[in-house]
Amino acid sequence: MQNIGSGSLPLFSFVLRRILQMIPTVVFILVVTFVLVRLLPGDPASAMLGDRAIDADVERINASLGLDKPIPVQFLYFVKNVFTGDLGTSIALKLPVTTIIMQRLPVTLMLTLMAALLALVLAVPLAFLAALRREQTADAVIRGTFQVGLSMPVFYVGILMLTVFGATLKWFPVGGYGDTFADRLYHLFLPALTLAFSFSAVLMRNLRSSIIGVINAEYVDFARAKGLRPRIIMTRHVLRNALISTVTLFGLQIGTLFGGAVITETVFAVPGAGRLMIDSIYGRDYPVLQGLTIALAVLVSLTFLATDIFQAWLDPRVAR
Amino acid sequence: MKKIAKAALAAVLLVGTSLSAVAVERGGVMTYGRYADSLFLDPVLNDANVDIWILSNLYDTLLLPTDDGKGVQAGLATEWKVSDDGMSVNLTLRDGIQFSDGSPITPADVAWSLKRAANKDNGIWNFLVSSIDDVTTDGDKTIVLKLKHPDPAILAALTVFNTAILPQKVFEAAAGATDADKAKVFAEHPVSSGPFVLQSWDRGSTMKLVRNEHYWGKGEDGKPLPYLDGVTFEVLPDDATRILKLNSGEIDGAEFIPYSRVEELKSAGNLNMELFPSTRVQYVTMNARPQIKGKDNPLSNPKVRQAMNYAVNKDAIIAIVTHGVGKPLTSYMSSATPMHTGDKPLYAYDIEKAKSLMKEAGFEKGFDTSILVLAGNQDEIGIATALQQMWAELGIKLELQQVDNATRTQQYRDGVFTMREAAWTDDIADPNEITSYFVYSPTIDALHTGWKNEEADKLFDASQKEIDATKRAAQYARIQEIYNAQGPIVPLYETPYPVALSKKVHGFLQIPLGNNFFGRAWLDK
Repeated sequence: MQNIGSGSLPLFSFVLRRILQMIPTVVFILVVTFVLVRLLPGDPASAMLGDRAIDADVERINASLGLDKPIPVQFLYFVKNVFTGDLGTSIALKLPVTTIIMQRLPVTLMLTLMAALLALVLAVPLAFLAALRREQTADAVIRGTFQVGLSMPVFYVGILMLTVFGATLKWFPVGGYGDTFADRLYHLFLPALTLAFSFSAVLMRNLRSSIIGVINAEYVDFARAKGLRPRIIMTRHVLRNALISTVTLFGLQIGTLFGGAVITETVFAVPGAGRLMIDSIYGRDYPVLQGLTIALAVLVSLTFLATDIFQAWLDPRVAR
Repeated sequence: MKKIAKAALAAVLLVGTSLSAVAVERGGVMTYGRYADSLFLDPVLNDANVDIWILSNLYDTLLLPTDDGKGVQAGLATEWKVSDDGMSVNLTLRDGIQFSDGSPITPADVAWSLKRAANKDNGIWNFLVSSIDDVTTDGDKTIVLKLKHPDPAILAALTVFNTAILPQKVFEAAAGATDADKAKVFAEHPVSSGPFVLQSWDRGSTMKLVRNEHYWGKGEDGKPLPYLDGVTFEVLPDDATRILKLNSGEIDGAEFIPYSRVEELKSAGNLNMELFPSTRVQYVTMNARPQIKGKDNPLSNPKVRQAMNYAVNKDAIIAIVTHGVGKPLTSYMSSATPMHTGDKPLYAYDIEKAKSLMKEAGFEKGFDTSILVLAGNQDEIGIATALQQMWAELGIKLELQQVDNATRTQQYRDGVFTMREAAWTDDIADPNEITSYFVYSPTIDALHTGWKNEEADKLFDASQKEIDATKRAAQYARIQEIYNAQGPIVPLYETPYPVALSKKVHGFLQIPLGNNFFGRAWLDK
């Protein structure tokens, strides 16, 4: 009995457990966000009307937004609305928050996804090359280049890319966001590459040292002694084991990647959620801020979940 | 009695021909890089420059500002007359004018639009037309404004964005229970009265305007305006990106060129670096209350404020922060504001005079104080650092407190800030708006400083009803004299609007109030 389905059952219950763990996380973030945005000095009407606001206008507008009610009352309304799928209306943009998030979040998702893919494409082969040619010229060049990538601020790399590949060589548009899907991928390439630059440096360094560690492990020697072909050894034994810590790192860094997207979106004029977030903080646009935080919390939790699942697949001991 | 103007067409043609000797070319879409996107395209309920400064392209007003931003010329109305007692204004609508959907613009639309603008419950601009008591119509062309009191600024107010004329029927047919709800729906796809119509709006990215086929204006070739087929706004928040995109030819113009790049773009030769005269003034606000949060406030002493003014080398700040683009202020209001007086810079640098004033005030050894600085804003940090060094000469130790805008606004509105930096632009071609905020204590306690001057308050009250232009100018001269000598600010500089345009662009205009006009812009083929 206990042997039936032992291959998939632990994984299934593991995933279920992790999904259930997400719920308190998201609820906690919901409460914290709601409280934190209200602890910020200033209020939406003052932020919106600016220096010229007269008291009567500020009071009238805050009242029309329901912000004159006690915070616990506001919270109850908020929770009730969230459970009915209504995240409220943006104070600054006068549009439903869900509409705005549906417009802006996919842009950032696409950008982050492209950056992550580019980072993997850059990092994995180069990490192998650097590890196998350890302490040789190739290793030095690869590590040196990525060190530069890691030390340069994102906005600077961005402006550099725009100047060289956009304005001078004219291979790519100088920022902005296209109309069609293909056009958008084209517009997003440079910002994604900018993000991928520092991200891949982190991944490459981590993967390189794991590979070096794994290559010297006894089971790799054993595989070699068995007479397995080098390619099989590399993919089935070295890569699979070396990836475990890199996957963890990859998952953790996705959040950082989003932080980088805020700057990248500004430099490249990409209308994503990062810029929306900054604008709503400055504008004290509580509903947008709350909605966006919830959406991001769910997304980041899902990323962690995906990382865990992938890890459990790489190393079944994780799921036990 | 005052003004009867006719033949606006002639005026438009006159301006048109003076702009260029070359024959205009029609067609094409002009792409313009903006630093931020618009928020809400309702003329009455908006509250930000990102809306105000482009609204005139969508919505027309009864009167239009002249190119220097100081006078009025015909818009949807061709004739206007203020009654002898100043208690009413008669306006005559232009013949055959239509909204962008082809329906006629009627006196009823005008009356409804103006009443909506003047409604105290609507938005934050109703004070500009608070003198309007009622709006009536007479026949199919005449509109009569009945005023609560004579209002010398009423004609200027009829050029301001919030008095734009909207189609009453379309607006009221929009979904929603309240005016604010209807406005949200209407402003998504507005029916226009201005030279352009909103075609599409991808928030945070691009806004596309196309020509309004029903616009009344005529070009210098005798055919209808605008010359362009459309205008596309691209939101490019990063200064460097905006300039790169212009240099690579992907856009035709870019606003808010940083001062540090103006000279470079001027000498580059491939662009026209325009510096449009503006009403923008930069200054430091000083809390003038005797105590702040229970502590004695040296800034409440007028001599201390004067001393601090004399100790600031404005030319040095203009050179450091604006890279020479700015000019020293000659009054608290910009030199582009009507009724501005003063021909020499306020408080020319004089450290000896500053020191003796500090001694007279009993602060020979100086004191500790602070200033709120907008975090991450290079201009503000530059100004504050310069002030810190300059005031150290007087023994004043200035602490820089970096905060975000909403935090600063909160402290400002609560009157518990010590000093802050600020900038201002007028929204109306009249000195009353800036004076109401800077000087007149009932509005916001003179920039929330607690400063109050009985004579200035009385003069302002009187000037708001004075329809004799000479007498009103005299009142304003005295208000400026009082405020410039004792007021709670350190006037720093005024700056133009730096806009870079491709050489292909002609006829684009940004008036001193900040409004961008694309109605007479055209592109070389």
